[in-house]
Amino acid sequence: MVVRGGLQSKRRRERVTTLIAFLFVTLFALMVLFPLWWIFRSSLMTNPEIGTLNMLPSRWLVSNYPEALKVFTYFKFLGNTMTIVVPCVVFGTITAIFCGYSFARLYFRGRSFVFGLCIASLLLPPVVTLIPLYIGWIRILGLGGTYWPLILPYLTGGGAFNIFLIRQFIMSVPREMDEAAKIDGAGRMRILLQILVPSIKPAIIVVALFIFIGIWNDVLQQTVYITKQEMNTIALGLKRFTGSYGTDWRLAMASTCMSIVPGILVYLICQKYFVEGIVVTGMKN
Amino acid sequence: MSRMARQEARAAKLFLIPAFCGLTFLTYLPLIAVFALSFFKWTAIMPQPIFVGLNNYVKLFTRDMFFWTSIKVTVLYALLTVGVSMIYTLSIAMLLNRKMPARGFFRAVFYVPYIIPAMAMYMSWALLYNPDFGVFNALLASQGIQKIGFLSDSRFIIPSISLIAVWASGNLIVIFLAGLGNVPRVYHEAAEIDGANGWQRFVNITMPCMTPIVFYNLLLSLIANMQVVVPSLIYAGSNRTTYPEYTFMSFLMYRTGFINNDLSYASAISFVFFLIIGFFTLILFTTSKSWLFYEGGDR
Repeated sequence: MVVRGGLQSKRRRERVTTLIAFLFVTLFALMVLFPLWWIFRSSLMTNPEIGTLNMLPSRWLVSNYPEALKVFTYFKFLGNTMTIVVPCVVFGTITAIFCGYSFARLYFRGRSFVFGLCIASLLLPPVVTLIPLYIGWIRILGLGGTYWPLILPYLTGGGAFNIFLIRQFIMSVPREMDEAAKIDGAGRMRILLQILVPSIKPAIIVVALFIFIGIWNDVLQQTVYITKQEMNTIALGLKRFTGSYGTDWRLAMASTCMSIVPGILVYLICQKYFVEGIVVTGMKN
Repeated sequence: MSRMARQEARAAKLFLIPAFCGLTFLTYLPLIAVFALSFFKWTAIMPQPIFVGLNNYVKLFTRDMFFWTSIKVTVLYALLTVGVSMIYTLSIAMLLNRKMPARGFFRAVFYVPYIIPAMAMYMSWALLYNPDFGVFNALLASQGIQKIGFLSDSRFIIPSISLIAVWASGNLIVIFLAGLGNVPRVYHEAAEIDGANGWQRFVNITMPCMTPIVFYNLLLSLIANMQVVVPSLIYAGSNRTTYPEYTFMSFLMYRTGFINNDLSYASAISFVFFLIIGFFTLILFTTSKSWLFYEGGDR
């Protein structure tokens, strides 16, 4: 009897703490969402109304969007951004798979040394090497005025972190699966493509998403390497709103909202795998 | 057997060509190059670099009025941002680490700011912080309080842009949650039988098990925040000498190299920047030995 009573009060207490936790989380979630709502509501208002505390527009000025498109050539910018993003994501992910596979499954002398160099490079801030890389791309290779300096670095396994991630995932696949396939006469490529790749699908999606976010978030590299107006990406297109005094906020906010959408869509599509992928990264670091 | 081993090694090296190129040409050679270039003088108009020994460093440490400021504001910003975002994300992760309705939804909500492109994010906050059109100043005005220049008053610049970074740090929540999910339940159950209360279990079980992940997040977010540059590119673009609070180290390097076209002097700044980040990383690694806990044995 006593034990049951204790359990019941414990369960009740737990329910109360869960409720308090839920309220706190809701409060914070609202705080996180507030800026997003604010720019969305601003994108549908007149400039004077933006400065008020109205949570909703008095008239929903959807016409701000077509007007914004006249100064902010969204689809052109999106196309330019995708010209960088698509090859980076595709080839970055493919090379990451091969490199990660090598580190996880294939033995050669000096492997742990090379892998150590790979991990150490995670600690090197990319900003530090910006100058020599700029000299290399522009002065030595003459790639100024092209997207290559932004694309080529991603063709090297998409960066050490992504290689590391793929390696960890492949290592978590039991070796017996490789052995069994080998006995059945499968070659290395078949083992990789037909056994390992399907079983590390979440990792592959996470890597693709990370590469996407990396480019999507980048401002500095694009500022340095993109010098022609007609090559501007979304980030650089938005940047033009900041230069002038007396920003037209409703157009700036309409453009900002449009810029946010593709990233959110990609995230929502990948979300299921994404959480799974992060769980394993967190476990293995 | 040895033929197979040789074949395996050959395949490994073939597959690793991309990583090898990346490490050589995009990481380690440029690091050497940045160090070498810092001993030369090479501006945009000069066809050939000229060796000048330690001149760049002497100028940097003795005559450059921006240099010390840039170290100060960068370190201040990074410590503030890392500290606050660690507390924020770990607390939210702790709260979310229980059965509650809409858990997945909340996790997604906290992650969303991280997906927003940096440029769009800083544009949005430029509006929120704006003295005439921003919500914060509208709120202050409705209370009869004077306007605050969140992005133009030197007392507010660093906290204001730090808040933006904290807002966007939701990716850490997802990593922390993954870690919390891996704390073995048996430990908690055993402690509960021994009569440990919630706080005792947090201090003696959850925290020790979480230290590797805290370390990982601390390290990566410190390195990321030390490199802060986008707020300066956007907010300080037109009046960049007015506010010393915007001269972060990366920005100083960018301005020297790409606006003033002095690539060699910018290399010296880059290398000092590298040493400073290395110094902080080293501190983290050496102190971590005393508080890092690795679970031995199982798993």
